[in-house]
Amino acid sequence: MATDVATADVPASVPDERLAYRGPIQRLLVQPEIGALVGAIAIWVFFWAVTVPFGTAGGTANWLDVAATLGIMAVAVAMLMIGGEFDLSAGAMTGATAILVIMLVKDTGELGGAGLSLWIGIPLSLVLALGIGWFNGTLVERTGLPSFIVTLGAFFVIKGAKLGFAKLFFETIQVGRIDEGAGYDFWRKIFSAVWTRNDHIFNSRDIFYVGLLIIGGVAILVGLLELTYKRRTPFNLGGLPITGIGVAAGLVGLFALHATDGIAANFIWAAVMGAGVAIGAYGIALWRFEPNQDRGRLQLSSEVLRLAGIGTGLLALGVVLGLILDSAPKIEDREIVNIFFLLTEQGLRAILFVGLAIAGLVVLLIAASRAKKSSDTSGAALSLYTALGVTVLAFIIRSEAEAPKFRTELFSALLLIALVMATWAVVGLYFAQRRGPDPAADRLGRSLAIGGVLLATLGVVVRLLFTKDSELATLVGQTQFRISILWFIIAAAVATWILARTRFGSWTFAVGGSKSASRQVGVPAARTKTQLFMIVSGAAWLVGMLLAFRLNTIQASTGDGKEFEYIIAAVVGGTLLTGGYGTAAGAAIGALIMAMSQQGIPFAGWNSDWRFVFLGSILLLAVLANNYIRKTAEAAS
Amino acid sequence: MSEPALLELEEISKHYGNIIALTGVTTLVNAGEVTCVLGDNGAGKSTFIKIIAGAHQQSEGTLKVEGEEVMFESPRDALALGIATVYQDLAVVPLMSVWRNFFLGSEPTKRIGPFKWIDKEKASRVAKEEMAKMGIDIRDTEQAVGTLSGGERQSVAIARAAYFGAKVLILDEPTSALGVKQSGVVLKYILEARNRGLGVIFITHNPNHAWPVGDRFLILNRGKSMGNFAKDEITRDELIMMMAGGAELEELTKELETVAAGDEALAHLAEEFAEEVEVLEDRTHDDE
Repeated sequence: MATDVATADVPASVPDERLAYRGPIQRLLVQPEIGALVGAIAIWVFFWAVTVPFGTAGGTANWLDVAATLGIMAVAVAMLMIGGEFDLSAGAMTGATAILVIMLVKDTGELGGAGLSLWIGIPLSLVLALGIGWFNGTLVERTGLPSFIVTLGAFFVIKGAKLGFAKLFFETIQVGRIDEGAGYDFWRKIFSAVWTRNDHIFNSRDIFYVGLLIIGGVAILVGLLELTYKRRTPFNLGGLPITGIGVAAGLVGLFALHATDGIAANFIWAAVMGAGVAIGAYGIALWRFEPNQDRGRLQLSSEVLRLAGIGTGLLALGVVLGLILDSAPKIEDREIVNIFFLLTEQGLRAILFVGLAIAGLVVLLIAASRAKKSSDTSGAALSLYTALGVTVLAFIIRSEAEAPKFRTELFSALLLIALVMATWAVVGLYFAQRRGPDPAADRLGRSLAIGGVLLATLGVVVRLLFTKDSELATLVGQTQFRISILWFIIAAAVATWILARTRFGSWTFAVGGSKSASRQVGVPAARTKTQLFMIVSGAAWLVGMLLAFRLNTIQASTGDGKEFEYIIAAVVGGTLLTGGYGTAAGAAIGALIMAMSQQGIPFAGWNSDWRFVFLGSILLLAVLANNYIRKTAEAAS
Repeated sequence: MSEPALLELEEISKHYGNIIALTGVTTLVNAGEVTCVLGDNGAGKSTFIKIIAGAHQQSEGTLKVEGEEVMFESPRDALALGIATVYQDLAVVPLMSVWRNFFLGSEPTKRIGPFKWIDKEKASRVAKEEMAKMGIDIRDTEQAVGTLSGGERQSVAIARAAYFGAKVLILDEPTSALGVKQSGVVLKYILEARNRGLGVIFITHNPNHAWPVGDRFLILNRGKSMGNFAKDEITRDELIMMMAGGAELEELTKELETVAAGDEALAHLAEEFAEEVEVLEDRTHDDE
């Protein structure tokens, strides 16, 4: 948002004159996973727009399932990479542990295994997997050789052993079956349970999920306000009734919008709701924040006017072209929406319209941030103008687009963006921005923003899980959510917590950042690194179990070559190749990106081999973007 | 003396086989005083540090900590008695935040049942407070140490050593890689540490840095002690002369003149150098 940009040029009451206060957005940009998050959203929107099944519950279950096994490994590999090491045997190890456990529990006999119970086989295979990790780590530490070479050796040994033992004991490269083991029914629930989506119609779900989204959105907005604006003490309670009126109007609008039908009424109630949100935000600002004493006068420099003109021109050109090319014959048949779609007249129209519109809006945003530098009034004027542009765009899409999801969902999303922009511009005009840190406000703002994101995510999940019968017709494949997704979430959460909050996490960053320095202050560097290798092999074991219970029969080559996908996911998520920097959450997002592109491409009707082109481009883009973001963020400080 | 000195060295010598690295070094470090160890390259400064820090053992002589004679077996022994060393590479991890660096290896933790995690609030607060005591206001302890200036990075290491119970702080050439202004900042931190009652051993080859902060000067040259003076026993110019080795400086002047005989520009330089040495010698004699 335009109003957050110009904080760097203000002389602040900080002790060192070379350090200016960094606003919340700038601080957010330093987070290593932010580039990946933006990329993930863009890719989701892209596949949501070009394919039918991608945004549905079935499609989501499909790509989340791929993301889960990839993500569990990516998170562990990211931890190891932060610790400054690689593990090239990680991929082969997932297949190896799966084969190992089958060999341990398969019935004895002509083509049999050890015949152990799963109650023994599963813990035993975990111990053996951890042993491989320990061996990798100890070898790297003792010899001082690069982990690249040591684990490359381990990779070939494991790959060969998988094939060799499979042929020796089973005379085939397919190893099965795990359901011959005792205790299968219990362990299947842990590693291969499936939660089938509730297909019944959840009547009041609209209110429910829209409510969650709105509460989440409001929390995010208030949180960002807390992070950005200067708080007054004591608070001005006069703002409270205004907040109440705003909330009431918002709720009335929301419920009436849901209850009424018919275009005109919808618009009226939507307007009431929007006004309520704006009034509520103003009330909160009045209640908690200090008035802006220095709004300045409306000054539009020639540069700002030129940029605004260019932006408006691009936007108008996009709209006009979109309308003119509309007369072209439309492709009715969804089946031939394939790679050549982009070359048809309809595709050309979409590209020109979307491309020009986005370019126009970006130029307008730049103009707003430039205008903000001369005075707050000018910045607000340009921001409001941009919000108006977004609104116009929303209505054009609503009247012109064929696909219902563009007509309704994109329309609402754009209107919401315009509303937030306008509200933000007005708040920024009347209330003073922070020029220094305020820990209490930062804490509150951060909790509100995070809580808002969680609520909004919950809203989206509710939306996905409870689908109307009428929508079921468009679903492709089964809508089953596998338990591996839950394991993935647990792995990402635990790894994030370990890295952020535990001594081991701190030591991981330290040994990756500077091994000699961490040794000097008493960090057990060798032990930390060995434990990191064991975390990777433990994660490989978990994925091996998920694969074994899912597939029942495992190919000897399972997992080979996957190790680079894990590394790519970690790097896309902002992990530094040289160690010492990165997050587990970033790696998880990286895994989502890879899974979305891997599954989205066949959904779009394109040959799935294209995914490697896609993957490579994403990797390069992510590294460049991360590099750029980190440099600008650091330069801005 | 009512109280024994924090650290006392008597006739310390160190031999590596037949190489004599250090002979007959005597000095002392009092609480709330700065002892400067001066010497050019190869004067034996690093051997001196290693003995006090416990990395090496002296071959002869005695080392007393608060009056007790000790012989360090390892750096851990020295650390246990409150002798902390801040090496030139500072032992900080540039990509990590200030508070993480401050507490690295000794993080304060909270626990509930089997779960133990870092008490971040406390770590962040203490790091900020300790840095403030050194005269640095860290606005955001989440800031990466790599984004701090060289002097501030030094102070993170110094504040960390002081917080973790150091009584004697050994600073190995803290100003050698810094610009003029940053060096001044570090000298200020040395004084701050002194004012907090620490005994500071400040190793440097720059007498201009040593003079303003030092209470006591030990001058080393080619492994020998050139003397151990309290501040009122010596002048700045004497210090500079002694450090460079007066006789050697004159010899160097002659050599430079010989080399410069054929080169005009160089001859000019040699002349200036000779003049400077002369002025310095005159001043030294005047003071006497």
